[in-house]
Amino acid sequence: MSKQNKNSLSELFGMLFGKHWPVWVGGILLGLLNIILFSIKSPWGASGGITNLGDNLFSLLGMFPGKEVTAVTSSNYGMLVVLIVFGSFAGALFSKEFALRVPPKGEMIKGVIGGALMAVGATVGIGCSIGSFFSGVPALSGGALVFSFAMFAGVIVSLKYLIWEMEKFPKWSTGKSYTFLAAAPEKGRWQIIAGTIVLICVIVIAYTYTDTNPVMSWFIIIATLMGLISQRSRFCIVKSFRDPFMSGESHGTVGVIAGLAVSLIGFTAIKYFSIGDISEVSQRARELTWVFPNFWGKALIGGFIFGLGMTVAGGCAVGTLWRVGEGQIKLWFSLLGLVIFSPVSNKYIVPFVDGILPQSSRFRSYLPDYIGYDGAFLLITLILIVWYVFVKWNERTGKFSAF
Amino acid sequence: MEITMTLDCKGLSCPMPMMKITKTMKGLNTGDVLEILGTDPGTKTDLPSWCAKNGHELLETTDLEGGVNRMVVRKG
Repeated sequence: MSKQNKNSLSELFGMLFGKHWPVWVGGILLGLLNIILFSIKSPWGASGGITNLGDNLFSLLGMFPGKEVTAVTSSNYGMLVVLIVFGSFAGALFSKEFALRVPPKGEMIKGVIGGALMAVGATVGIGCSIGSFFSGVPALSGGALVFSFAMFAGVIVSLKYLIWEMEKFPKWSTGKSYTFLAAAPEKGRWQIIAGTIVLICVIVIAYTYTDTNPVMSWFIIIATLMGLISQRSRFCIVKSFRDPFMSGESHGTVGVIAGLAVSLIGFTAIKYFSIGDISEVSQRARELTWVFPNFWGKALIGGFIFGLGMTVAGGCAVGTLWRVGEGQIKLWFSLLGLVIFSPVSNKYIVPFVDGILPQSSRFRSYLPDYIGYDGAFLLITLILIVWYVFVKWNERTGKFSAF
Repeated sequence: MEITMTLDCKGLSCPMPMMKITKTMKGLNTGDVLEILGTDPGTKTDLPSWCAKNGHELLETTDLEGGVNRMVVRKG
């Protein structure tokens, strides 16, 4: 390779991994990848995959017998979750940002509690910050809109709690912490080599599915890219909801709005024209993809609990996964909470909630059925514009920020 | 440059470092210098825009051994 080509390549590498990307770049790229996922099969989701990991864990331990469990390696969404972690791991290694960061004890406890609350919220609400928000809203689901507003309320309550905790019990977030395997400045070349090995492994894993399950190959590659993009742009739903009311910053929110806007265009087209493989499902089933029977009661309860959990944990569904790949041990505990409590909640809490909520508060609400495709598209566009104008105005004036 | 106070955010992940920085900064006087030691890569991105927005001056950002970032801010 000529010296010039080598220089151009290292320039590109430095551009991708030298600094964090603007969140809006991450949002747009994630929105585009989400459209590709939907055109191949169905949109991005995290809680289903996390539940699959939990089901496999319990099955391995011989608990909850009688339940048929799909192996992680055969579950598109189980693999999606695993590969997002791998993608983030690769991104963190390439940028020499990987390190095992062990926080004070109190933070790890908050991690588990946050994860457990997210698990309950996602199983009751049928979807998480991805399935019932980042994918659900562009999927024109009425339940996703309710989930999103409830999640916002949960974030505000939980943020108030965090501020109170910091004032009254500062010791809960202080204490001994440890960092392992960090790359020293000007050193740490091993991280780049390890990142390359991780990417090669991903490509090999994807290749093994090409003959038997090509959809899985696509899911593996897209999930890895999603993890890498999320880590580089620090894309996080909880940040987008919380920061305007904490520091007043809006860049996280703008990134999420950008991703939603891109997905909204793609998803609406896919549903309206029934794009994708509809040989196995009816046109109506294609329209109702990612429109879950959670309107309005289940979405309201689930969204609120999920919002509480993700703020205490400091990471939404995707934010937890990419921080796991980056080596943030607090989020390892959140993921543990999610994985353990998702099947538990499915077995004990969801049937209880279903028992007390009437059918009229847990049905599929597809917005175009009520206001047409144009009305649904305009309604969501309007919400995104109002959200954008609000966070920009609040950033200038600081009217609603806590600090 | 005289450091008025050092804030240890090592091991903490988002949002705790920014919450602690904001709270500590509130208790300082204009011109005081806060040294922050942290390990969350996100703080390196969040801090410059927060300083610019709130009129503080980010004097220094250095990567130390052991994955620790040292950031120094003068209150504006």
